[in-house]
Amino acid sequence: MSINFPKALEIFQENISLFLYGIGNTLLFALIGTLVGFLIGLLVGGIRAIEINDYDSGLVKVLKHIGRWITSFYIWVFRGTPMMVQAMFVFYLLKPVLQWTPFVAGLVIISINTGAYMAEIIRAGIQSVDKGQNEAAMSLGMTTIQTLVFIVFPQAIKNTFPSIGNQLIVNIKDSSMLNVIGVTELYFQTTSVAGSNYKYIETFLVSALIYLFLTTLASFLLNYLESRFDEERKTKAMDFCS
Amino acid sequence: MNEIIQIQHLQKHFGNLKVLNDVNFDIHKGEVVTIIGSSGSGKSTMLRCVNLLERMDGGTILYHGKDILASGNDVNQYRSKVGMVFQSFNLFNNLSVIENCMIGQIKVLKRSKEEARAKAEKYLKEVGMYEFADKASTKLSGGQKQRVAIARALCMDPEVLLFDEPTSALDPEMVGGVLDVMKDLANEGLTMVIVTHEMQFAKEVSDRVIFMDQGVIAEQGTPEEIFNNPKQERTKQFLSRYSNR
Repeated sequence: MSINFPKALEIFQENISLFLYGIGNTLLFALIGTLVGFLIGLLVGGIRAIEINDYDSGLVKVLKHIGRWITSFYIWVFRGTPMMVQAMFVFYLLKPVLQWTPFVAGLVIISINTGAYMAEIIRAGIQSVDKGQNEAAMSLGMTTIQTLVFIVFPQAIKNTFPSIGNQLIVNIKDSSMLNVIGVTELYFQTTSVAGSNYKYIETFLVSALIYLFLTTLASFLLNYLESRFDEERKTKAMDFCS
Repeated sequence: MNEIIQIQHLQKHFGNLKVLNDVNFDIHKGEVVTIIGSSGSGKSTMLRCVNLLERMDGGTILYHGKDILASGNDVNQYRSKVGMVFQSFNLFNNLSVIENCMIGQIKVLKRSKEEARAKAEKYLKEVGMYEFADKASTKLSGGQKQRVAIARALCMDPEVLLFDEPTSALDPEMVGGVLDVMKDLANEGLTMVIVTHEMQFAKEVSDRVIFMDQGVIAEQGTPEEIFNNPKQERTKQFLSRYSNR
Protein backbone atom coordinates (compact mmCIF):
# COMPACT_ATOMS: atom_id res chain seq x y z
CA MET A 1 0.00 0.00 0.00
CA SER A 2 1.53 3.23 -1.05
CA ILE A 3 0.30 6.60 -2.19
CA ASN A 4 2.23 8.49 -4.79
CA PHE A 5 1.50 12.05 -3.73
CA PRO A 6 3.39 13.80 -6.54
CA LYS A 7 1.46 11.62 -8.99
CA ALA A 8 -1.81 12.77 -7.43
CA LEU A 9 -0.86 16.40 -7.92
CA GLU A 10 0.11 15.62 -11.50
CA ILE A 11 -3.23 13.92 -12.18
CA PHE A 12 -5.04 16.93 -10.77
CA GLN A 13 -3.08 19.35 -12.94
CA GLU A 14 -3.43 17.30 -16.08
CA ASN A 15 -7.18 16.85 -15.70
CA ILE A 16 -8.02 20.14 -14.12
CA SER A 17 -10.70 21.05 -16.64
CA LEU A 18 -12.45 17.72 -16.13
CA PHE A 19 -12.34 18.14 -12.37
CA LEU A 20 -13.51 21.74 -12.52
CA TYR A 21 -16.44 20.72 -14.68
CA GLY A 22 -17.34 18.06 -12.15
CA ILE A 23 -16.98 20.49 -9.25
CA GLY A 24 -19.23 22.97 -11.00
CA ASN A 25 -21.94 20.39 -11.52
CA THR A 26 -21.61 18.97 -8.02
CA LEU A 27 -22.05 22.42 -6.53
CA LEU A 28 -24.93 23.15 -8.84
CA PHE A 29 -26.73 19.95 -7.89
CA ALA A 30 -26.04 20.49 -4.20
CA LEU A 31 -27.21 24.10 -4.18
CA ILE A 32 -30.29 23.69 -6.34
CA GLY A 33 -31.20 20.43 -4.64
CA THR A 34 -30.96 22.08 -1.23
CA LEU A 35 -32.82 25.21 -2.26
CA VAL A 36 -35.67 23.50 -4.10
CA GLY A 37 -35.72 20.77 -1.46
CA PHE A 38 -36.11 23.49 1.15
CA LEU A 39 -39.10 24.96 -0.66
CA ILE A 40 -40.65 21.51 -1.01
CA GLY A 41 -39.92 20.96 2.67
CA LEU A 42 -41.71 24.18 3.63
CA LEU A 43 -44.76 23.15 1.65
CA VAL A 44 -44.82 19.53 2.79
CA GLY A 45 -43.75 20.27 6.37
CA GLY A 46 -46.36 23.02 6.50
CA ILE A 47 -49.10 20.69 5.31
CA ARG A 48 -48.05 18.11 7.87
CA ALA A 49 -48.10 20.68 10.65
CA ILE A 50 -51.59 21.98 9.91
CA GLU A 51 -53.85 20.86 12.67
CA ILE A 52 -57.26 19.46 11.92
CA ASN A 53 -59.66 21.64 13.91
CA ASP A 54 -63.12 20.77 15.05
CA TYR A 55 -64.29 24.06 13.62
CA ASP A 56 -63.27 23.08 10.10
CA SER A 57 -66.03 22.28 7.67
CA GLY A 58 -66.31 18.72 6.42
CA LEU A 59 -64.62 19.48 3.11
CA VAL A 60 -61.66 21.21 4.76
CA LYS A 61 -61.24 18.25 7.11
CA VAL A 62 -61.21 15.81 4.19
CA LEU A 63 -58.68 17.94 2.29
CA LYS A 64 -56.42 18.15 5.34
CA HIS A 65 -56.57 14.37 5.77
CA ILE A 66 -55.74 13.82 2.12
CA GLY A 67 -52.84 16.26 2.42
CA ARG A 68 -51.54 14.34 5.38
CA TRP A 69 -51.72 10.97 3.62
CA ILE A 70 -50.01 12.19 0.48
CA THR A 71 -47.18 13.89 2.36
CA SER A 72 -46.69 10.88 4.65
CA PHE A 73 -46.46 8.61 1.64
CA TYR A 74 -43.97 10.91 -0.07
CA ILE A 75 -41.70 11.06 2.96
CA TRP A 76 -42.00 7.34 3.58
CA VAL A 77 -40.94 6.46 0.05
CA PHE A 78 -38.16 9.00 -0.49
CA ARG A 79 -36.52 8.64 2.89
CA GLY A 80 -36.88 4.88 2.82
CA THR A 81 -35.13 4.16 -0.46
CA PRO A 82 -31.59 5.02 -1.65
CA MET A 83 -31.29 8.05 -3.89
CA MET A 84 -29.33 5.92 -6.35
CA VAL A 85 -32.33 3.65 -6.79
CA GLN A 86 -34.69 6.61 -7.00
CA ALA A 87 -32.50 8.14 -9.69
CA MET A 88 -32.50 5.03 -11.88
CA PHE A 89 -36.20 4.34 -11.39
CA VAL A 90 -37.50 7.87 -11.93
CA PHE A 91 -35.11 8.69 -14.77
CA TYR A 92 -36.01 5.66 -16.87
CA LEU A 93 -39.67 5.65 -15.85
CA LEU A 94 -40.27 9.19 -17.10
CA LYS A 95 -37.75 9.23 -19.94
CA PRO A 96 -40.22 8.12 -22.64
CA VAL A 97 -42.71 10.75 -21.52
CA LEU A 98 -40.48 13.73 -20.74
CA GLN A 99 -37.52 12.99 -23.01
CA TRP A 100 -35.33 14.47 -20.32
CA THR A 101 -31.57 14.57 -20.01
CA PRO A 102 -29.71 13.05 -17.06
CA PHE A 103 -28.87 16.62 -16.01
CA VAL A 104 -32.51 17.72 -15.65
CA ALA A 105 -33.57 14.39 -14.17
CA GLY A 106 -30.73 14.65 -11.64
CA LEU A 107 -31.83 18.10 -10.52
CA VAL A 108 -35.39 16.91 -10.08
CA ILE A 109 -34.43 13.78 -8.16
CA ILE A 110 -32.01 15.43 -5.75
CA SER A 111 -34.61 18.14 -5.05
CA ILE A 112 -37.40 15.68 -4.36
CA ASN A 113 -35.12 13.54 -2.24
CA THR A 114 -33.92 16.51 -0.20
CA GLY A 115 -37.50 17.74 0.13
CA ALA A 116 -38.45 14.60 2.03
CA TYR A 117 -35.72 15.19 4.61
CA MET A 118 -36.41 18.93 4.76
CA ALA A 119 -40.11 18.30 5.38
CA GLU A 120 -39.33 16.37 8.52
CA ILE A 121 -36.79 18.98 9.68
CA ILE A 122 -39.29 21.78 9.14
CA ARG A 123 -42.10 19.89 10.78
CA ALA A 124 -39.91 19.45 13.86
CA GLY A 125 -39.08 23.16 13.66
CA ILE A 126 -42.76 24.07 13.50
CA GLN A 127 -43.45 21.90 16.50
CA SER A 128 -40.65 23.64 18.40
CA VAL A 129 -42.47 26.97 18.09
CA ASP A 130 -44.46 27.81 21.22
CA LYS A 131 -48.18 27.13 20.85
CA GLY A 132 -48.87 30.56 22.29
CA GLN A 133 -47.52 32.10 19.08
CA ASN A 134 -50.26 30.32 17.15
CA GLU A 135 -52.92 31.30 19.63
CA ALA A 136 -51.89 34.95 19.54
CA ALA A 137 -52.08 34.96 15.74
CA MET A 138 -55.45 33.24 15.82
CA SER A 139 -56.72 35.74 18.39
CA LEU A 140 -55.91 38.53 15.93
CA GLY A 141 -57.99 36.76 13.30
CA MET A 142 -55.08 35.61 11.14
CA THR A 143 -55.76 32.57 8.96
CA THR A 144 -53.85 29.32 9.34
CA ILE A 145 -51.78 30.07 6.25
CA GLN A 146 -50.97 33.64 7.37
CA THR A 147 -49.97 32.33 10.78
CA LEU A 148 -47.66 29.76 9.20
CA VAL A 149 -46.05 32.13 6.72
CA PHE A 150 -45.57 35.21 8.89
CA ILE A 151 -45.19 33.83 12.40
CA VAL A 152 -44.40 30.13 12.51
CA PHE A 153 -42.14 29.56 9.49
CA PRO A 154 -39.65 32.33 10.31
CA GLN A 155 -39.23 30.95 13.81
CA ALA A 156 -39.19 27.32 12.69
CA ILE A 157 -36.53 28.05 10.07
CA LYS A 158 -34.40 29.89 12.56
CA ASN A 159 -34.69 27.10 15.12
CA THR A 160 -33.69 24.43 12.61
CA PHE A 161 -31.21 26.37 10.51
CA PRO A 162 -28.26 24.12 11.43
CA SER A 163 -30.18 21.04 10.26
CA ILE A 164 -31.32 22.78 7.10
CA GLY A 165 -27.75 23.83 6.34
CA ASN A 166 -26.52 20.35 7.02
CA GLN A 167 -28.52 19.18 4.00
CA LEU A 168 -26.24 21.24 1.78
CA ILE A 169 -23.23 19.34 3.05
CA VAL A 170 -25.05 16.03 2.64
CA ASN A 171 -26.00 17.01 -0.91
CA ILE A 172 -22.44 17.93 -1.90
CA LYS A 173 -21.53 14.34 -1.13
CA ASP A 174 -24.74 12.55 -2.12
CA SER A 175 -24.97 14.19 -5.51
CA SER A 176 -22.27 11.64 -6.40
CA MET A 177 -25.02 9.01 -6.52
CA LEU A 178 -26.47 10.71 -9.55
CA ASN A 179 -23.55 9.32 -11.57
CA VAL A 180 -25.68 6.20 -12.07
CA ILE A 181 -27.85 8.02 -14.56
CA GLY A 182 -24.85 9.66 -16.21
CA VAL A 183 -24.78 13.06 -14.57
CA THR A 184 -21.29 14.44 -15.06
CA GLU A 185 -20.67 15.51 -11.48
CA LEU A 186 -17.38 15.18 -9.59
CA TYR A 187 -17.56 11.44 -8.91
CA PHE A 188 -18.46 10.69 -12.51
CA GLN A 189 -15.53 12.78 -13.72
CA THR A 190 -13.22 11.06 -11.24
CA THR A 191 -14.14 7.63 -12.58
CA SER A 192 -13.52 8.87 -16.12
CA VAL A 193 -10.06 10.12 -15.19
CA ALA A 194 -9.22 6.99 -13.24
CA GLY A 195 -10.52 4.85 -16.08
CA SER A 196 -8.03 6.35 -18.46
CA ASN A 197 -4.93 6.43 -16.23
CA TYR A 198 -5.58 3.35 -14.04
CA LYS A 199 -4.20 5.29 -11.01
CA TYR A 200 -7.25 4.67 -8.88
CA ILE A 201 -5.68 5.49 -5.52
CA GLU A 202 -4.19 8.82 -6.55
CA THR A 203 -7.17 9.90 -8.63
CA PHE A 204 -9.65 9.19 -5.87
CA LEU A 205 -7.35 10.88 -3.35
CA VAL A 206 -7.70 14.01 -5.46
CA SER A 207 -11.44 13.51 -5.53
CA ALA A 208 -11.66 13.01 -1.76
CA LEU A 209 -9.63 16.14 -1.11
CA ILE A 210 -11.86 18.16 -3.42
CA TYR A 211 -15.00 16.88 -1.66
CA LEU A 212 -13.43 17.67 1.70
CA PHE A 213 -12.56 21.15 0.53
CA LEU A 214 -16.12 21.77 -0.72
CA THR A 215 -17.82 20.50 2.43
CA THR A 216 -15.47 22.49 4.65
CA LEU A 217 -16.15 25.60 2.63
CA ALA A 218 -19.88 24.98 2.91
CA SER A 219 -19.77 24.53 6.66
CA PHE A 220 -17.82 27.78 7.08
CA LEU A 221 -20.39 29.53 4.96
CA LEU A 222 -23.24 28.07 6.98
CA ASN A 223 -21.66 29.06 10.29
CA TYR A 224 -21.27 32.57 8.96
CA LEU A 225 -24.89 32.71 7.83
CA GLU A 226 -26.05 31.39 11.16
CA SER A 227 -24.27 34.12 13.07
CA ARG A 228 -25.59 36.71 10.63
CA PHE A 229 -29.09 35.35 11.17
CA ASP A 230 -28.83 36.08 14.87
CA GLU A 231 -27.39 39.54 14.31
CA GLU A 232 -30.05 40.52 11.84
CA ARG A 233 -32.83 39.45 14.14
CA LYS A 234 -31.57 41.78 16.83
CA THR A 235 -31.78 44.83 14.65
CA LYS A 236 -34.50 44.12 12.17
CA ALA A 237 -36.96 41.30 12.32
CA MET A 238 -38.81 41.33 9.03
CA ASP A 239 -39.12 43.92 6.38
CA PHE A 240 -42.80 43.67 5.61
CA CYS A 241 -43.55 46.70 7.76
CA SER A 242 -40.75 48.98 6.72
CA MET B 1 -79.57 46.04 26.59
CA ASN B 2 -76.90 46.18 23.93
CA GLU B 3 -75.23 42.81 24.27
CA ILE B 4 -72.10 42.30 22.21
CA ILE B 5 -71.62 38.68 23.15
CA GLN B 6 -74.10 36.24 24.66
CA ILE B 7 -72.87 32.95 26.02
CA GLN B 8 -75.59 30.35 26.34
CA HIS B 9 -75.40 26.92 27.96
CA LEU B 10 -71.67 26.66 27.41
CA GLN B 11 -70.33 23.15 28.03
CA LYS B 12 -66.75 21.98 28.00
CA HIS B 13 -65.15 18.80 29.17
CA PHE B 14 -61.68 17.35 29.01
CA GLY B 15 -62.32 13.62 28.83
CA ASN B 16 -64.66 12.80 31.66
CA LEU B 17 -63.86 15.97 33.56
CA LYS B 18 -66.54 18.61 33.19
CA VAL B 19 -64.76 21.94 33.15
CA LEU B 20 -67.72 24.10 32.24
CA ASN B 21 -71.25 23.08 32.97
CA ASP B 22 -74.02 25.20 31.52
CA VAL B 23 -72.41 28.63 31.77
CA ASN B 24 -74.59 31.57 30.73
CA PHE B 25 -73.71 35.21 30.63
CA ASP B 26 -73.78 38.29 28.47
CA ILE B 27 -71.19 40.94 27.77
CA HIS B 28 -72.64 44.40 27.30
CA LYS B 29 -71.08 47.31 25.51
CA GLY B 30 -68.84 49.43 27.70
CA GLU B 31 -68.94 46.97 30.56
CA VAL B 32 -65.96 45.78 32.60
CA VAL B 33 -66.53 42.25 33.87
CA THR B 34 -64.05 40.49 36.09
CA ILE B 35 -64.13 36.76 36.61
CA ILE B 36 -62.71 35.44 39.85
CA GLY B 37 -62.47 31.98 41.31
CA SER B 38 -59.92 29.42 42.42
CA SER B 39 -57.62 27.63 40.01
CA GLY B 40 -59.45 24.95 38.08
CA SER B 41 -62.82 26.64 38.40
CA GLY B 42 -63.03 27.04 34.62
CA LYS B 43 -62.43 30.81 34.34
CA SER B 44 -59.67 30.68 31.77
CA THR B 45 -61.29 27.88 29.83
CA MET B 46 -64.45 29.93 29.55
CA LEU B 47 -62.54 32.92 28.26
CA ARG B 48 -60.71 30.75 25.74
CA CYS B 49 -64.02 29.32 24.56
CA VAL B 50 -65.33 32.83 23.95
CA ASN B 51 -62.42 33.43 21.57
CA LEU B 52 -62.73 29.91 20.11
CA LEU B 53 -59.22 28.98 21.15
CA GLU B 54 -60.89 26.13 22.98
CA ARG B 55 -63.53 24.01 21.34
CA MET B 56 -66.95 24.09 23.00
CA ASP B 57 -68.67 20.80 23.64
CA GLY B 58 -72.07 22.37 23.85
CA GLY B 59 -73.88 25.67 23.87
CA THR B 60 -73.82 28.69 21.64
CA ILE B 61 -72.02 32.00 21.51
CA LEU B 62 -73.93 34.82 19.92
CA TYR B 63 -72.10 37.85 18.57
CA HIS B 64 -74.55 40.69 18.00
CA GLY B 65 -77.26 38.09 18.08
CA LYS B 66 -75.68 35.79 15.49
CA ASP B 67 -74.31 32.34 16.22
CA ILE B 68 -70.60 32.60 15.50
CA LEU B 69 -70.29 28.93 14.64
CA ALA B 70 -73.18 28.92 12.20
CA SER B 71 -71.96 28.18 8.70
CA GLY B 72 -71.29 31.26 6.65
CA ASN B 73 -69.98 33.26 9.58
CA ASP B 74 -66.31 34.10 9.40
CA VAL B 75 -64.58 32.92 12.56
CA ASN B 76 -61.46 34.96 11.80
CA GLN B 77 -63.49 38.10 11.34
CA TYR B 78 -65.09 37.50 14.73
CA ARG B 79 -61.72 36.86 16.39
CA SER B 80 -60.33 40.10 15.03
CA LYS B 81 -63.12 41.95 16.85
CA VAL B 82 -62.61 40.08 20.12
CA GLY B 83 -59.10 40.79 21.33
CA MET B 84 -57.17 38.58 23.70
CA VAL B 85 -54.38 39.30 26.15
CA PHE B 86 -52.64 36.17 27.37
CA GLN B 87 -51.07 35.25 30.66
CA SER B 88 -47.82 34.41 28.88
CA PHE B 89 -47.96 37.51 26.61
CA ASN B 90 -47.34 35.55 23.39
CA LEU B 91 -45.69 38.39 21.54
CA PHE B 92 -44.46 37.23 18.14
CA ASN B 93 -40.81 36.39 18.76
CA ASN B 94 -39.74 36.97 15.17
CA LEU B 95 -41.12 40.51 15.06
CA SER B 96 -40.16 43.80 16.62
CA VAL B 97 -42.43 45.60 19.06
CA ILE B 98 -44.09 47.77 16.44
CA GLU B 99 -44.35 44.93 13.93
CA ASN B 100 -46.22 42.97 16.57
CA CYS B 101 -48.74 45.78 16.63
CA MET B 102 -48.92 46.08 12.84
CA ILE B 103 -49.14 42.57 11.47
CA GLY B 104 -52.77 41.93 12.41
CA GLN B 105 -53.84 45.30 11.06
CA ILE B 106 -52.09 44.68 7.74
CA LYS B 107 -52.92 41.02 7.22
CA VAL B 108 -56.39 40.82 8.74
CA LEU B 109 -57.86 44.32 8.56
CA LYS B 110 -56.02 45.04 5.28
CA ARG B 111 -54.88 48.45 6.44
CA SER B 112 -52.03 50.21 4.67
CA LYS B 113 -48.61 50.14 6.32
CA GLU B 114 -48.78 53.85 7.03
CA GLU B 115 -52.15 53.58 8.66
CA ALA B 116 -51.09 50.54 10.66
CA ARG B 117 -47.90 52.22 11.80
CA ALA B 118 -49.74 55.34 12.91
CA LYS B 119 -52.21 53.29 14.90
CA ALA B 120 -49.47 51.15 16.42
CA GLU B 121 -47.56 54.25 17.48
CA LYS B 122 -50.66 55.72 19.03
CA TYR B 123 -51.35 52.69 21.20
CA LEU B 124 -47.71 52.09 22.05
CA LYS B 125 -47.68 55.63 23.39
CA GLU B 126 -50.82 54.94 25.33
CA VAL B 127 -49.28 51.94 27.09
CA GLY B 128 -45.98 53.75 27.55
CA MET B 129 -43.95 51.55 25.22
CA TYR B 130 -43.40 53.88 22.27
CA GLU B 131 -39.69 54.29 22.93
CA PHE B 132 -39.30 50.50 22.51
CA ALA B 133 -41.08 50.42 19.13
CA ASP B 134 -38.10 49.16 17.13
CA LYS B 135 -36.75 46.79 19.77
CA ALA B 136 -36.95 43.03 19.33
CA SER B 137 -39.93 41.82 21.30
CA THR B 138 -37.83 39.09 22.93
CA LYS B 139 -35.66 41.70 24.62
CA LEU B 140 -38.42 43.12 26.84
CA SER B 141 -39.26 42.37 30.45
CA GLY B 142 -42.51 40.62 31.29
CA GLY B 143 -44.34 43.78 32.23
CA GLN B 144 -43.19 45.50 29.07
CA LYS B 145 -44.23 42.53 26.96
CA GLN B 146 -47.67 42.55 28.47
CA ARG B 147 -48.12 46.25 27.79
CA VAL B 148 -47.11 45.69 24.16
CA ALA B 149 -49.53 42.75 24.00
CA ILE B 150 -52.31 45.07 25.16
CA ALA B 151 -51.33 47.63 22.52
CA ARG B 152 -51.27 44.87 19.88
CA ALA B 153 -54.83 43.88 20.81
CA LEU B 154 -56.02 47.51 20.86
CA CYS B 155 -54.65 48.14 17.38
CA MET B 156 -57.34 45.85 15.98
CA ASP B 157 -60.04 48.20 17.35
CA PRO B 158 -61.69 45.33 19.19
CA GLU B 159 -65.23 45.55 20.46
CA VAL B 160 -64.29 43.44 23.45
CA LEU B 161 -60.93 42.76 25.00
CA LEU B 162 -60.46 39.52 26.90
CA PHE B 163 -57.72 39.31 29.53
CA ASP B 164 -56.61 35.87 30.68
CA GLU B 165 -54.82 36.42 34.01
CA PRO B 166 -52.72 39.19 32.50
CA THR B 167 -50.56 39.75 35.58
CA SER B 168 -50.17 36.19 36.86
CA ALA B 169 -46.85 35.59 35.10
CA LEU B 170 -45.35 38.92 36.12
CA ASP B 171 -42.87 39.79 38.83
CA PRO B 172 -44.70 41.63 41.64
CA GLU B 173 -43.08 44.97 40.82
CA MET B 174 -44.32 44.73 37.23
CA VAL B 175 -47.96 44.14 38.10
CA GLY B 176 -48.80 47.76 38.93
CA GLY B 177 -47.83 49.15 35.53
CA VAL B 178 -49.99 46.67 33.64
CA LEU B 179 -52.97 47.18 35.95
CA ASP B 180 -52.67 50.94 35.53
CA VAL B 181 -52.91 50.57 31.76
CA MET B 182 -55.98 48.40 32.18
CA LYS B 183 -57.58 50.90 34.55
CA ASP B 184 -57.10 53.64 31.98
CA LEU B 185 -58.76 51.48 29.34
CA ALA B 186 -61.66 50.77 31.66
CA ASN B 187 -62.11 54.49 32.27
CA GLU B 188 -62.08 55.12 28.53
CA GLY B 189 -65.10 52.88 28.20
CA LEU B 190 -63.51 49.83 26.56
CA THR B 191 -65.53 46.65 26.98
CA MET B 192 -63.37 44.23 28.93
CA VAL B 193 -63.64 40.74 30.39
CA ILE B 194 -60.86 40.05 32.84
CA VAL B 195 -59.93 36.79 34.51
CA THR B 196 -57.83 37.80 37.48
CA HIS B 197 -56.57 37.00 40.94
CA GLU B 198 -56.06 40.69 41.74
CA MET B 199 -59.02 41.24 44.05
CA GLN B 200 -58.31 44.87 44.86
CA PHE B 201 -58.10 45.64 41.16
CA ALA B 202 -61.32 43.73 40.47
CA LYS B 203 -63.05 45.75 43.20
CA GLU B 204 -61.89 49.03 41.69
CA VAL B 205 -62.55 48.60 37.99
CA SER B 206 -65.43 46.18 37.65
CA ASP B 207 -69.00 46.96 36.79
CA ARG B 208 -69.78 43.34 37.43
CA VAL B 209 -67.94 40.52 39.17
CA ILE B 210 -68.51 36.88 38.32
CA PHE B 211 -67.44 34.23 40.81
CA MET B 212 -66.88 30.84 39.23
CA ASP B 213 -66.63 27.59 41.08
CA GLN B 214 -66.38 24.05 39.70
CA GLY B 215 -67.37 24.96 36.19
CA VAL B 216 -70.42 27.06 36.98
CA ILE B 217 -71.12 30.70 37.72
CA ALA B 218 -71.74 30.49 41.44
CA GLU B 219 -72.55 34.12 42.00
CA GLN B 220 -72.42 37.41 40.17
CA GLY B 221 -73.14 41.02 40.99
CA THR B 222 -71.62 44.42 41.54
CA PRO B 223 -68.23 44.55 43.28
CA GLU B 224 -70.08 45.84 46.33
CA GLU B 225 -72.41 42.82 46.36
CA ILE B 226 -69.71 40.22 45.75
CA PHE B 227 -66.94 41.54 47.94
CA ASN B 228 -68.95 43.03 50.81
CA ASN B 229 -72.12 40.97 50.87
CA PRO B 230 -71.50 37.63 49.21
CA LYS B 231 -74.59 35.47 49.46
CA GLN B 232 -73.11 32.07 48.80
CA GLU B 233 -71.07 30.17 51.31
CA ARG B 234 -68.44 29.19 48.72
CA THR B 235 -67.99 32.81 47.65
CA LYS B 236 -67.36 33.77 51.27
CA GLN B 237 -64.88 30.95 51.69
CA PHE B 238 -63.02 31.90 48.54
CA LEU B 239 -62.82 35.59 49.45
CA SER B 240 -61.74 34.88 53.02
CA ARG B 241 -58.66 33.15 51.65
CA TYR B 242 -57.68 36.42 50.02
CA SER B 243 -58.54 38.80 52.89
CA ASN B 244 -56.52 36.68 55.31
CA ARG B 245 -53.33 37.38 53.44
